[in-house]
Amino acid sequence: MAILHCRRSKLLVLLLAISSFISGCTTSANQRYFGKTVAPTNNVFRYITGPEPETLDPQLPDGQPESRILLALYDGLVEYGPKDQLPIPAIAKSWEVNPKFDEFLFHLRAGAEWSDGVPITARDFVYSLRRGFAPETISRTAANGYVIKYAEAFNGSKVFVKKGGAFLLEKDFGKPDSPAPPAFGPETEFHKLINSPPRVTLEGDEKKRAKEIAADPKLAAAVEGAELVPVKAEDIGVEVIDDYTLRITLRQGAPYFMGLLAHQFFRLVPQQAIEKWGKEWTRPEHIVTCGAFRVKEWRPYDDLVLEKSPNYWDAANVHLAGIEFYPIEENSTMMNLYKAGEIDAFLNHIVPTSWLDEIRKYKGEYLNSPENAVAYYAMNNTKPPFNDPRVRKAFNFGLDKEALSSFRKITKPLFNIAPSGIIMDFDKAREKVREDIRKERGISPEDWVKLRAFNPDEARKLLGEAGFPVQKSGDGWACPNFPTDKVSITYNTNESNRATAEFVQAQWKQNLGITVPLKTMEFKTYLPYYKGLQYDGFAQSLWSGDYMDPYTFLNLHYGKDNEGGAGFYDPKYDKMLDEANAEIDPDKRFEKLARAEFYLMEQLPSIPLIITATNWMKKPYVKGMYPNAGTLIPWKFVYIEHDPAKWETDVSDIMSQSDPQVDKQLQELMSTQKAVTK
Amino acid sequence: MLSFIIRRLLIILPMVLIVVTLTWGLIRIAPGNFYSGEKKLPAAIEATIRKKYGLDKPWYEQYGMMISNIVRGDFGDSLKYQGQTVNEIIKRHLPYSATIGILGYLLALAVGLTAGTVAALKQNSSFDYSSMSFAMLGLSIPNFVLGPILVLIFAFWFYILPPARWGGPTALILPVVTLAAVYAAYIARLTRAGMLEVMRSDYIRTARAKGLDEKTVLLRHAIRGGLIPVISFTGPALAGLLAGTVIVERVFAIPGLGNIFIQAVLNRDEPLILGIVAFLSILIMVFNLIVDISYGFLDPRIRYE
Repeated sequence: MAILHCRRSKLLVLLLAISSFISGCTTSANQRYFGKTVAPTNNVFRYITGPEPETLDPQLPDGQPESRILLALYDGLVEYGPKDQLPIPAIAKSWEVNPKFDEFLFHLRAGAEWSDGVPITARDFVYSLRRGFAPETISRTAANGYVIKYAEAFNGSKVFVKKGGAFLLEKDFGKPDSPAPPAFGPETEFHKLINSPPRVTLEGDEKKRAKEIAADPKLAAAVEGAELVPVKAEDIGVEVIDDYTLRITLRQGAPYFMGLLAHQFFRLVPQQAIEKWGKEWTRPEHIVTCGAFRVKEWRPYDDLVLEKSPNYWDAANVHLAGIEFYPIEENSTMMNLYKAGEIDAFLNHIVPTSWLDEIRKYKGEYLNSPENAVAYYAMNNTKPPFNDPRVRKAFNFGLDKEALSSFRKITKPLFNIAPSGIIMDFDKAREKVREDIRKERGISPEDWVKLRAFNPDEARKLLGEAGFPVQKSGDGWACPNFPTDKVSITYNTNESNRATAEFVQAQWKQNLGITVPLKTMEFKTYLPYYKGLQYDGFAQSLWSGDYMDPYTFLNLHYGKDNEGGAGFYDPKYDKMLDEANAEIDPDKRFEKLARAEFYLMEQLPSIPLIITATNWMKKPYVKGMYPNAGTLIPWKFVYIEHDPAKWETDVSDIMSQSDPQVDKQLQELMSTQKAVTK
Repeated sequence: MLSFIIRRLLIILPMVLIVVTLTWGLIRIAPGNFYSGEKKLPAAIEATIRKKYGLDKPWYEQYGMMISNIVRGDFGDSLKYQGQTVNEIIKRHLPYSATIGILGYLLALAVGLTAGTVAALKQNSSFDYSSMSFAMLGLSIPNFVLGPILVLIFAFWFYILPPARWGGPTALILPVVTLAAVYAAYIARLTRAGMLEVMRSDYIRTARAKGLDEKTVLLRHAIRGGLIPVISFTGPALAGLLAGTVIVERVFAIPGLGNIFIQAVLNRDEPLILGIVAFLSILIMVFNLIVDISYGFLDPRIRYE
């Protein structure tokens, strides 16, 4: 027995020695970089963007994986700036905006063409937008452009009401009358029409229309015997002035509109291919594109190979010879391919939490920057006990978000509706507004801080006021009255959601004496449960901003049928937002938005949790690719650095580092647009 | 024999329809739908979608339409992947799954049969113990553990094989070995058990008594009987392998049917789910039929009337 034991331990030692030798070899050989690091000599970039793209039609899908592919294939009026995501000239070499921010005039560049050589003109934009909004296109992102006049009505198959040769107008039915804006750009027949006072639009569906009319007796009288005229593609506020001039008219001022335009929905689709091939136009053998890259090969679920497009107007400034997208979903498989040097970068939110401590050592490769996205717990405002703002606030006060954020390792705590640290001007406006309100209310700075931070005492007090007294119980707290059987934290199954939910649960147990049960479900099951307000208590929500403006978050609780998931509706809040968006001065607008945000925080429809952060890697030889707030990559800036001396050594502050090549490229592009409107 | 085959073939269609009906019911019971996403769809758009895909009709009409399409062999278009038909997707991705499936099974057969037979012939020898221990290990290590271990060794310690993705013969090695491991273990154990039983049977004793040498006894008489359990296992196993193995395909990012199937379920892509389910059930029934027929050739005692 003793001998056997001895033999075994010798064997064990030998095995240990061999394995440590092997692992020692591999780590010492590649200490600076994570795994095999060899720059591809053919300048073809290999990237994982997530699951198989559902289509290559830019107007249909709403997923991020598709976005990044579509940004490579299609061009639009403007492109995302590589770092700040603010609009930079693309096919529009410059643009003008009227003082009310409701009309935009775009001057297109001559020489832009499709991958089949057909020149691109303003007509292509009008076609693309009309197609995007057409109900039969079934675009899931069309709502991004609803601010374009009559776009929502056309997309929703609505009707105008014509009586005695004239259309019914909104101003006659309680909507505020807006004075005719000053002339902007050349006057045309269409412009006169689109600029006339807004017409009433009604539901196209007969049943819904009857309901709508029944609710408003004045409208019912007016509609009696009137002719219903469907809203057509030609009615929406987009107009060709000449081959290279395009005008877009909005239904209301929208200072954030330029920021929306780089979105894939607004990119060009080829009329020539769509009309010829119908729904099969996106097949590799038929597809026509207009971006920096074009489709070379597509093997679904295996790879999508793009090559540099020689027809692209800015081809001289496209550095990569091609991009290969690999559709993969397993995070560890992606990490493996990256480590083995088979890919050059992968999408956001991939590095598993358990790998983070190791991966962070590779300073030239790991990208961790704030994102234009927030995570929050929606509370079901339509059911007790969360229809009581005191209860909602109590749970917010009872959660230490700093602790949550450091537990999640790569995130920042979220104290408001919109994230901080993304749009600096808004952060400043918020500071100023908060200070004004503090003075108005005569609260001391110390007390003010307490009212905004983690404050378990206040939380317990509020619960008591709401009828759920919290008592001391042993070392902790107990809240016997609170109906824990009627609440739960519901989240869609995923590792980080679970970690967050468990942490929050523990916090509330510790601070409030309330153990909220957890409930998890698969994503597609979760969606109707959450959006349909079937949940009790809390529901996990994650919202990525569609554009670089706080409104993309504040809008979440705007209107009756909003995206916030909390069932919250407050006309006063809506009015505050409308007033802010009617504001012409950008600073003042931000202040009004910040006031609206403060107001909303006092109602607190949901509990802000964290500002998410980017969590992805790129090899040190990949340059011109930034962890911008939406991980939206304008691919023409990306290049492969072949000189190892110039490889990235520390990307933790990559957003403030300057890259002469990117800066020069950006400057040249911006030179045609003197003052870029944010 | 012929009437047996015809009877079995005739039953395939009703069986497939039953399987499809059950699947269809399950999809309809599952909450969520293919068009829902993180963002709410405007009501009018949702109505357009429902109309386009006939979801506004009563359920029995939708069911009738679905069944009549399937009987004609047309599963329609994928709901998720615009402009691609289900038939086209299955046709395109079957070869990937079939390649690793068949290679994996061949490897498993080679390893399993050899190990099983030798273990049976040398019962209670050290070879028997060690090979059966390995087989037990193969059975108990799930392939989502074995796959990453192999990747760690061959892709990161030695840098000799790629860790994932389709392309080139080297890329096939790890997924095929991962896939083969569990089947090899099964086959080894089945073969050993089958062979042990046969070697003790009367007809083997008779063969030996006739004075046949051990090699002839083994190859002409014993193997045929000893393989019956392996053959019954092969039918469904091979059908499953051809139709894709979810975990291996996901770990190694192989564009096979298993991967597509899981994704289709998560996407609520009804036509694609039904198409793959119907295809898989036909495959299983056909393979079972082939297995049943092959019994007759292997064991003269089995007759079909």
